Amino acid sequence: MSALGVIVAVLSVAVAAAVGVYIAAWVDIVLARAVAGVAVRPLEALVAPLSWGAAAALKARTTTERPDAETWALAPALLAALAAVGLAAVPLAPGLLAADVANGIVLFGAAMALVVVAVFLQGWSPNSPLPMIGGYRFIAEGLSYEIPLAVVLIAAALPARSLAIAPIVLSQENLWNVVRQPLGLPLYLMAALGLAFWGPLALPEGEDLAGGSSLEVSGVSRILWRIAQLMILVAVSAMGAAVFLGGWLGPLLPGAAWMIAKTLVLLVLLVGARHLVARVPTERYVIASWAILIPLSLLDVFIAGIQALVAAR
Amino acid sequence: MGLTATIARLAASAPARCFPLVGAQAEEVAPWLRLDPLLAIVDSPRAADVLLVLGRSDDEMLRAAAAVHDAMSPPRGVVVWSPDGVAPGRWPSSDAVIVREPGEIALTCRRLRDDLLGRRVTSSPDVLPDLDPAPWRGVGPFGQGGTGMTGGVPYGRPLAGRADDRDGLKLDQMLVRVGPFLPPFPPGLQLDVKLQGDVIQEVTIPAAIADAAGSSGGEAPLGAPGPRGHAARLAVAGDSPFTAALTRPVPIAELELPRARHHLAWLAEALRVSGLEAYGLRVLKLAFGLDLESADSIDALDRWLRRNVSLRWGTSHVGVVTGAQAEGLPGGPVVRASGDDRDARSLDPAYQRLGFEPVVRDEGDALARWRLRVAEARQSLQLAKRSGTSESTPSGVAEGPRGPLAADASPSAGLVALLPELLAGMEWGDAVTTIVSLDVGVVEPSEQRAAAGAGPS
Repeated sequence: MSALGVIVAVLSVAVAAAVGVYIAAWVDIVLARAVAGVAVRPLEALVAPLSWGAAAALKARTTTERPDAETWALAPALLAALAAVGLAAVPLAPGLLAADVANGIVLFGAAMALVVVAVFLQGWSPNSPLPMIGGYRFIAEGLSYEIPLAVVLIAAALPARSLAIAPIVLSQENLWNVVRQPLGLPLYLMAALGLAFWGPLALPEGEDLAGGSSLEVSGVSRILWRIAQLMILVAVSAMGAAVFLGGWLGPLLPGAAWMIAKTLVLLVLLVGARHLVARVPTERYVIASWAILIPLSLLDVFIAGIQALVAAR
Repeated sequence: MGLTATIARLAASAPARCFPLVGAQAEEVAPWLRLDPLLAIVDSPRAADVLLVLGRSDDEMLRAAAAVHDAMSPPRGVVVWSPDGVAPGRWPSSDAVIVREPGEIALTCRRLRDDLLGRRVTSSPDVLPDLDPAPWRGVGPFGQGGTGMTGGVPYGRPLAGRADDRDGLKLDQMLVRVGPFLPPFPPGLQLDVKLQGDVIQEVTIPAAIADAAGSSGGEAPLGAPGPRGHAARLAVAGDSPFTAALTRPVPIAELELPRARHHLAWLAEALRVSGLEAYGLRVLKLAFGLDLESADSIDALDRWLRRNVSLRWGTSHVGVVTGAQAEGLPGGPVVRASGDDRDARSLDPAYQRLGFEPVVRDEGDALARWRLRVAEARQSLQLAKRSGTSESTPSGVAEGPRGPLAADASPSAGLVALLPELLAGMEWGDAVTTIVSLDVGVVEPSEQRAAAGAGPS
């Protein structure tokens, strides 16, 4: 890729992340007000993420007693970088993607698998008990969301006979994967909540830990962490739209418009889960994942395999 | 206009982020602050602009409050309110803004935050000296090694030891003191916890808390709604019809509406701790505007709770109080959720005339306590509606929202004593769910202690 291509790719990911994060923050505020029964003022809510961010930015960064300062500073940057890699693998339209690699789905899965490192560092670094418990929790539940996520993505790739995202989108020309593999998208969204430690699976940052892994974070670091978390939500929504909802495929509108619309639908679903579904206890989630979600994801890939074999005949 | 000024102007439109420290006589004031659009109550002092010191605190709580203050990120300020007025010297930082009227708390916090952003006031300086509790004697490049380092108690905390876990393995065990201002805990509650990862191995109650919970304690339930919204509610929050009912007849409606309001405010907090903050606010609004015609809203809330699988998943079979354990408690919703029908109202002729029957559930878990309180809130509205001008019969015992009040008994004392037995072996999340579901009142007995002269002047 030429230098100009690299710049364009980086810029496109940055713009997608910035717009996506802002929309996610706005949707979160609007849904919270709606659920709370407070008058929803969408335009006022449009400014709210900025004002909240500004208020946090004006606070000094404080430290704790004997933290691991380097890894603490690294954690939000790592999380944001992983989300950016994930976003880079998702095509907005045919040929319009930052990381046009033959194994896009592997790249996405690899980046998302490392999220656990960033969250653990965020919890462990401040040398404080409740954040550390948050970090422990994320390690404990890691496999419980990573396995279903990886397996349903493999299942989605099977009909395309390719690990690149564009062929996976094109393989849905006649039938979207959400219909062809009905278990896939629900399992993917549940795993995505765990990956983004959001809503019912905000286990490392639950209210029972008074914020857990983010409890000791202040100032700009606090905003960066929240932005990075929302970037993960945007990345998983975009990937979900591409591999389960037919990506850019759709009538009348340009492909990019379809892709954005489908991403937004998933983003609203994920963000909204925070206000309607209570946080799930760690142990029960892990048990449910190994007893139900992982077997269902294996069933999903089994069905996809049979469909692929039948189609090949 | 400079970038900083632009950011400050943007920040000024956000609510003032407050971290409340709730002391005696303020336990029923704090929840309503969440409804004020001028404020955002945050879980971490690191994220707060203003430390909000509410009610009266003893010396130990003030020491903890000072540590919370110093953990706040500058620029920061302090607002202090107490129902009986507060001498500025009571708060260790001399720059605290004292609020006399409870209705002014939110506005004062917001103005202080704006002044901090506009640099019209300086950030509150540290209260405690920034010193290690013991000199560090490590010698390695990262401060490790050496002899004794800080005498085996680095920075005032014991090193993690090894102990058997529930699977028979030997794992690190960490001793942590939590409270008295940990947001998911009832204000004032402190626990010494031995943790292995997320699992609680052992819980002990610090002596000061055990003493406080064991002392006689009245409760200060929520006051009736008034004409000035939040401010009026705050102004009457210290009144307690339940303590009044110990010695004189009180209209039943004046007992039952505050009881329903207390249960709903508790539910709002329980929902918040469960991750449903927005729905908790909806319930808090319902509690705030509660009147005799709110039965349908409570029914709708009950239906929503029953349908919410995730809540059931997080509370069912959690923190089970057995019938035998309930027998040792004085009474209250926790006891009734464990199949024991003790309720002081059953003995009151005025309630008997209304056909009062205690609400009882058998399961004894956190879910049963949630549902029982919602059912009791519904029942309280029915009783209040039917009672007309009926008044309670004073007998020296009155049924408060947490249990029976008497001159020499606190409904929460037995619950605090039960915690070590209940929490051992639980994961942290389940332990918090259990503690929240018990609705323990810790700071009210402290109030009695302070009033009796044991507290500092």
